[in-house]
Amino acid sequence: MIRRALRARLGSRWIGPLAAGAVALLAAALLAAAGLALAGYEPVAAGRALVSGAFGSWERFASITLVRATPLILTGLAVALAFRAGVWNIGAEGQLYAGAVAAVWVGLAFPGAPAWLLLPGAMAAAAVAGGLWTLVPVGLKFRAGVGEVITTILMNFVAIHTVAWLVHGPLQEARGVFPQTDPVALAARLPRLGSGRLHAGFPVAVVLAGALWWLLRHSAWGFRVRAVGASARAAAVSGRIHTGRVVLGAFLLSGMLAGLAGGVEVAGVTFALYENLSPGYGYTAIAVALLAGLNPVAVLLAAGFFGVLQAGAAAMQRDVGVPAVWVSAIEALVILAVVAADRFLRRGVAGKGGG
Amino acid sequence: MARPAVEMRSVSRRFGPIEALADASLSAYPGEVHALLGENGAGKTTLMRVLCGMLRPDGGEVLVEDRRLPPGGTRAAAAAGIGMVHQHFTLLPSLTVAENVALGTREGSGLRLALDRVHARLAELERVTGLPVDAGAPVAGLSVGAKQRVEILKALYRDPRVLVLDEPTTVLGPQEVDWLFGVLRSLVAGGRTVLLIGHKLDEILRVADRVTVLRRGRTVLEAARQAVDAPGLARAMIGRETTPAGRSAQAVGGAAGERVARLEVVGVRGEDGRMAVREVNLEVRRGEIVGIGGVEGNGQRELALVLSGRLRPSSGTADCPTTVSLIPQDRSAGGLVPGFDLAENTALAFHDDDAHRRGPLIDWAAMRRTAQEIVTGFDVRVPGWRATARSLSGGNRQKLLVGRELARAPDLLVAENPMRGLDIAAAAFLRDKLVELKRGNPSVAEVGGAGGRPAHAPPGIVLFSTDLDEVLDLADRVFVLVRGRLIPVPEEERNPAGMGRLMLGSAGA
Repeated sequence: MIRRALRARLGSRWIGPLAAGAVALLAAALLAAAGLALAGYEPVAAGRALVSGAFGSWERFASITLVRATPLILTGLAVALAFRAGVWNIGAEGQLYAGAVAAVWVGLAFPGAPAWLLLPGAMAAAAVAGGLWTLVPVGLKFRAGVGEVITTILMNFVAIHTVAWLVHGPLQEARGVFPQTDPVALAARLPRLGSGRLHAGFPVAVVLAGALWWLLRHSAWGFRVRAVGASARAAAVSGRIHTGRVVLGAFLLSGMLAGLAGGVEVAGVTFALYENLSPGYGYTAIAVALLAGLNPVAVLLAAGFFGVLQAGAAAMQRDVGVPAVWVSAIEALVILAVVAADRFLRRGVAGKGGG
Repeated sequence: MARPAVEMRSVSRRFGPIEALADASLSAYPGEVHALLGENGAGKTTLMRVLCGMLRPDGGEVLVEDRRLPPGGTRAAAAAGIGMVHQHFTLLPSLTVAENVALGTREGSGLRLALDRVHARLAELERVTGLPVDAGAPVAGLSVGAKQRVEILKALYRDPRVLVLDEPTTVLGPQEVDWLFGVLRSLVAGGRTVLLIGHKLDEILRVADRVTVLRRGRTVLEAARQAVDAPGLARAMIGRETTPAGRSAQAVGGAAGERVARLEVVGVRGEDGRMAVREVNLEVRRGEIVGIGGVEGNGQRELALVLSGRLRPSSGTADCPTTVSLIPQDRSAGGLVPGFDLAENTALAFHDDDAHRRGPLIDWAAMRRTAQEIVTGFDVRVPGWRATARSLSGGNRQKLLVGRELARAPDLLVAENPMRGLDIAAAAFLRDKLVELKRGNPSVAEVGGAGGRPAHAPPGIVLFSTDLDEVLDLADRVFVLVRGRLIPVPEEERNPAGMGRLMLGSAGA
């Protein structure tokens, strides 16, 4: 009965995903608390440390949580857009690294350029590089029918190892001590917002999320993307939609968003390229996008949530001694809970009347 | 009368906002073919899925031979002797006939499947029923009629007391229908009960002993065959008088205009890699209806996609206009997106139309108006404005799709079984629409004047149908499509029997 009552109230497109997310969070929190208690930690203290670590002060929230959330928003948008079009781009991590490489290269190669030229140039290069990084999966998908799930994952490894080679070789810092590049020119860095470490990449990501949401909802292009993703066959049969073109466009744009995430991370946080620059943002992005129900605006919330988790992890480790791996486990629990909640709430609603 | 083999009492079932079954009752007795009739969306399939345990009813009860069936369990229903032949094939193409039949049975022990036992029982069934099958053949290579036979054998294999068939005749030619009905009669002669869902009244009346009519989820009539006639049943089904759906006398004829599409030795490879369409030549002109009859799965889907420019032919040349409306066969996965609402599904055809956009943006207000016109014009029954296509019944989905495709003012309209799934009134309405469309709008045509093509010159129409009466009724030129070959039907063969002969005669080619 409860389920039926829930279903009856879930007619709106907004309440459904939000309710699923809330139920999932609650379930994951309970599971995590139980796990922590079993492992001998104090769940309440751990939770308090997590919350204060992420929200303790505006300074901390902006400098840690929002800064962590920024690349997750951009890669989350990348994944959400691709999935909306029915493109299973699992390669946001690799595309992010491609973007980071391009941004660093631009930031190092033109030290004398003015900021108004260098910064947008570096960001554009990052986006283009992310888009280019999808070309191999795109080509294989269209020419040979190879599924993009595998090819985009493989391209992640190519990107990660290419970066390792670059920072040990051609792009290594002039001193040659650490496997990293020199810092990029000041003119290639994103301006800070306020006194903390929050940078202009965050509002850019928020604006892009809003723009993508709006385009998907109101533009003919966005409609085509949604149609192809919802039913490629119906889209093709309508005779008005070139599914191949739509898929291609969404794939490239997805790569560009992920590439931009890499560029923003370099220009706003690291200022240099090194190995493990991304702690798996491109993979967490998949969870972000799914938790958000592939809705770009909800991606902001989902990315914020994972930002909170990651920012709180450090505090939990410091104050209560909970290993940070627990946070990864909690993240995984959230994903599982979301998938389960989603199925639970959706089952039956989709039942069709026949006869 | 003997006790009923199946009794369903006051069954109700909702799907979200839709009340699929409100108060449906049915009593079917041993030894009878019991027809279940109703418009689309009346709840026929839903009721039968409740019977088979595939759906749990919200209320009411199901009794099989006086024993109450626990709701929502397919195993319990199967154990009670209920077997169902579904409207859509449920066979796995890569498995053989015998393996498909063995699926879900308990032949064999542990890990070993006793296929030899399956083969033996199939041979016995084949002898008893006269249904010929090649038990060792992979299902993928079978004709549609043969697949239907396998579905029936699969159901019979478990020796059901009650056999449910959901619209079994739609994939069969006229001769095969006769043969199927013969089989059904022999089954009930042995004391079984056959429940037959159908929509073609005259066909159903030929074989049924008793009928139950559903209307909007309620049983409105239960009667013996002798007590009813086709007009009375039609009245019961739709709840009011209808104009008889007889041959529309003025449908055929009229001057055909300029050529809008031409196929030259077109061949199309199907999804399974075989040639689905072979060496087809066809010209379509404005203002004519080209009717193509034939049983399902003979290349209709591929030919329709090529004609409508949705698919490039594998060989030959296809010369098609830019604006082609297509009413595809596979409506569940075809023309509509289940998760889209009415305006969004309308937008599939109109999102790049100048009247429905402002620059790169979709004018959703205009789109909703157009959707509203379609909904009103075609009497699409929707639970609410934001209703998704998924929440509509099959017949209403169909009306939405047909309405949208007719609304585009195409140069060519390609329709696969457009009447299927429509209730009687809607089918009659669509029939009139097609005739009207083919004649063009006279007032508009006059404005166009001589020489220049009028703004709304009539489209060419290609009508694929498994219903030969429909083809004969509406088409100016008639063909049959048999194993991918398009065969013109000569004047003297323009009747169901003649077309049936052509369909069978070339079957071995």
